[in-house]
Amino acid sequence: MAQSTTLPHPAASATQDAPRTGNWDGGNEPFKASYGKLMMWFFLLSDAFTFAAFLTTYGMIRHKHEVFTGEAKDFVFSTRWWPIPDHVFNAFPGMGEANVPLGFVALMTMILILSSVTMVLAVEAGHRMDKADVQKWLLWTILFGATFLGSQAWEWSHFIHGHSEGTVMADGTVFHGANLAMNQYGPVLFADLFFFITGFHGTHVFSGVCLLIWCFIATTNGTFEKRGHYEMIEKIGLYWHFVDLVWVFVFTFFYLV
Amino acid sequence: MASHATTEHALAPGEIAKPNTAWIWRVFGILVGITAVEFVFVFLMHPSTLRNSIFIVLTIMKAFFIVGEFMHLKHETKGLIWTILVPVALLVWLLVALITEGSFIGEVLQNMFK
Repeated sequence: MAQSTTLPHPAASATQDAPRTGNWDGGNEPFKASYGKLMMWFFLLSDAFTFAAFLTTYGMIRHKHEVFTGEAKDFVFSTRWWPIPDHVFNAFPGMGEANVPLGFVALMTMILILSSVTMVLAVEAGHRMDKADVQKWLLWTILFGATFLGSQAWEWSHFIHGHSEGTVMADGTVFHGANLAMNQYGPVLFADLFFFITGFHGTHVFSGVCLLIWCFIATTNGTFEKRGHYEMIEKIGLYWHFVDLVWVFVFTFFYLV
Repeated sequence: MASHATTEHALAPGEIAKPNTAWIWRVFGILVGITAVEFVFVFLMHPSTLRNSIFIVLTIMKAFFIVGEFMHLKHETKGLIWTILVPVALLVWLLVALITEGSFIGEVLQNMFK
């Protein structure tokens, strides 16, 4: 606090080049984190607000709908009550109409957690200035990220096309699948929230994969090697873990509860 | 970084330190374990407030490991930790408040014409 920032004496021009280390002289790192990392944290905090708004909306809308009170095995889709998630998300690619409750979403969760692990491994390799290892782990992360996106595309496609039996709507017709105005699973807002929440998360994963591909190219070109540190990988890593974190919450509130 | 520092011996120019990844795989094991426990509860327990509370506790545990270890927040300065945690705590408050509100609205709407 008591540090004073005096202007350099005109005669002592040589000392102007000396590093200035006062509180307000710049070059300091508040919280001992670099500017870039700090700003990434604040961005992620603001992004957390967005996702919290989505999940709050989900909770509020779900609570104002009726709950199915019977036995789980007697459950039928109806626009009257909120659907039970493991009756909606029970399909697995290549298994037709087989009932695999939450099986595919479990696989997607594993893929995303694994991608987070390979991301930390890339950051760790960056600390050691190990270019080959950084490249290897970035490639794995890109692969898992892209696999997750593909899985989500399948999940969406299945959700949109629906189960073959469909649901009898109020006007007596049978409706299959879902769109923003109608769906076979339950209240209109159920499908709307599914599209918005998983869609917004998927957009984040997509941006993450793009950033990782750019990171891989920069690593391969030796950009970070020349710079002397791999901090960019750390910053993108923070973003990537955040996307994984959001999925953990989406998974709990959309698929489990 | 201190807690994850690699071997202390000085490196020759061009030499690359040995990877220190045991802690990463340990955290991975914990995350997979918690997810497995969640699935056990989905299939062995009937939906109830208790089950939902268990899910929320387990989710927060997973979040703790992702943010604390993978995002390294646990090893940052106290100031940074609080800067992130305080707004998040306020967010949780908002969430609880609005969901409670949602239940009341639902009750009113369902009993409106009875």
